[in-house]
Amino acid sequence: MAELLRAVGLEAGYGDRRVLHGVSFRLYAGELCALLGSNGCGKSTLLRALCGLLPYRGSCLLEGEELRNLTQRQQTQRIAYLTQRGGVSLSLSALDVVLMGYNPVLGLLERPSRAQVEHAKHMLEEIAGPGVAGRDFAALSEGQKQMVLFARTLLRDTRLLLLDEPDSALDFPNRRRMLSLLRQRAQQRGEGVLLCSHDVNLALRYAQRLLLLKEGRLLCGVRVDAVPPAELAEALSQLYGPVEVLRHGGYFIMTGDERD
Amino acid sequence: MPGSKRLCVRFFAALVLTGALLLLSVAVGRYPILWEEVLEDTLSRRVLLTLRLPRTLMALTAGFGLGVAGGTYQTVFQNPLASPDVIGVSSGASAGAAAAILFLDGGLACVTLAAFTGGFLAVLSALALASAAQGRGMNTIVLSGIAVNAVSQALLMLMKLAGDPERHLAAIEFWTMGSFADVTLRHFLAVLPWAALGLAGLLLLHRQVLLLGLEPDEAHMLGVPVQGMRYLVLLLATLVTGAVVSVTGLISFVGLLAPHIARLITRSSRFSTVMLSGVTGGALLLASDILARSIGSSEVPVSVVTSLLGAPFLFWLMCRREAGHG
Repeated sequence: MAELLRAVGLEAGYGDRRVLHGVSFRLYAGELCALLGSNGCGKSTLLRALCGLLPYRGSCLLEGEELRNLTQRQQTQRIAYLTQRGGVSLSLSALDVVLMGYNPVLGLLERPSRAQVEHAKHMLEEIAGPGVAGRDFAALSEGQKQMVLFARTLLRDTRLLLLDEPDSALDFPNRRRMLSLLRQRAQQRGEGVLLCSHDVNLALRYAQRLLLLKEGRLLCGVRVDAVPPAELAEALSQLYGPVEVLRHGGYFIMTGDERD
Repeated sequence: MPGSKRLCVRFFAALVLTGALLLLSVAVGRYPILWEEVLEDTLSRRVLLTLRLPRTLMALTAGFGLGVAGGTYQTVFQNPLASPDVIGVSSGASAGAAAAILFLDGGLACVTLAAFTGGFLAVLSALALASAAQGRGMNTIVLSGIAVNAVSQALLMLMKLAGDPERHLAAIEFWTMGSFADVTLRHFLAVLPWAALGLAGLLLLHRQVLLLGLEPDEAHMLGVPVQGMRYLVLLLATLVTGAVVSVTGLISFVGLLAPHIARLITRSSRFSTVMLSGVTGGALLLASDILARSIGSSEVPVSVVTSLLGAPFLFWLMCRREAGHG
């Protein structure tokens, strides 16, 4: 598998406060990787550093090129990023919000072409369902807004997707649909996905690999289908305390270990 | 009726209303215009060409400009109540105008130039302060604007204190209340290119202005050079506002109201809404100016009328938002 992203000894933070301490990992094409960790452990900071939104020390290679040496336009053409807090406070249709996704490939004064508009409509309908395109984004439910922003993130078929809790407001079926679609796209199109999530069970179900982050340090990377449940439980215990991982129908489920 | 057709009808209605106000503005005034004499070299013709037409065109341009610039400020600052005051345009222009009245000859051309320079310098100072503070958020610019506003207000107060109560003070006060009474074709033509340049820039960059309404990280990752674009857009909006108020004096509420009315009509923030903000601003200011020169025996400053019309509307808007409609 081709390497899309490689972080080596990555350090980043806000002002004098360092949040990430020497994070190193690789992300490959065709891989859905879940970044797990408790609140405030540095997941969003890591994603922001990987997008070029935060200055960093160490190295971050995007398809072999140092991220900080790329222009903003080059970065945004290669990376699609979904922020935790996103959206529009203006009155704009959901379609207009999705069309914003084309901005990195458009000229300053250029407008999306007819073909791009049609593609955006199709993408929005596929992901958020029919009838959403013309609705006011501000009037949608939080879950619908997340699906619209998710459609915007997938719009340009970018090879690297960095998603910061994209599913936090979604109901269970939509959460599953989102993760399943990401896995499918990764496998079929060779996209590399790094996804921050607090839903460990969905991560165990859909991600090929888990990256466990604690207090700004990467504890380990675990390939989900390559280790026995006990080993998964041991790794996850480092983040969540005593847990048990059970195998059910070919997949893993994490539960709290009530024996403790 | 489908949405786009309904929007076309409303847009057309706004244009018809503005056209009617334009004609009314040309016709209304102390000297009645005898239309049959306009083609000959008569008093009616001179009144039309030297007084009414420049005044009417200035009111339309000022309203259009303030409407578009007001919508831009509201989007960029992500605040429905944002106005040119936020980054010091108005207070800077007032201080500039007061300096011209106090220290220079106080003629309209001189006051116009000084007000324009004052407004622009204030905004440049606010943006330079924000840049020096290295803050990425909008709050840094707002705080810098407050600082520049305070300094400009202090300078204005000092100048009022130093000025002659009868000659200077009255002129300064009158300028801050706004009026189209002294507008001539020369002044209109002098500021038109600046206002047109700013407006053309804002309309061309409309898509980028909308993207600035997003969270900074989101806009950055959608390819917008956030800080540079913000500064460019704010300078273009300042060019429009500065050009307008340098001739007319301060005009309250139009830049706040017009975009809200346009958004109420279109329920969107697309390009058509920006244009409608302009048309609505033009109509509002034409109507206000007609009232300003018709309601009393002598002319009332136009900001008195716009404020009296604007305050109830603002209250209504507030109630509507509280009730969850906007």
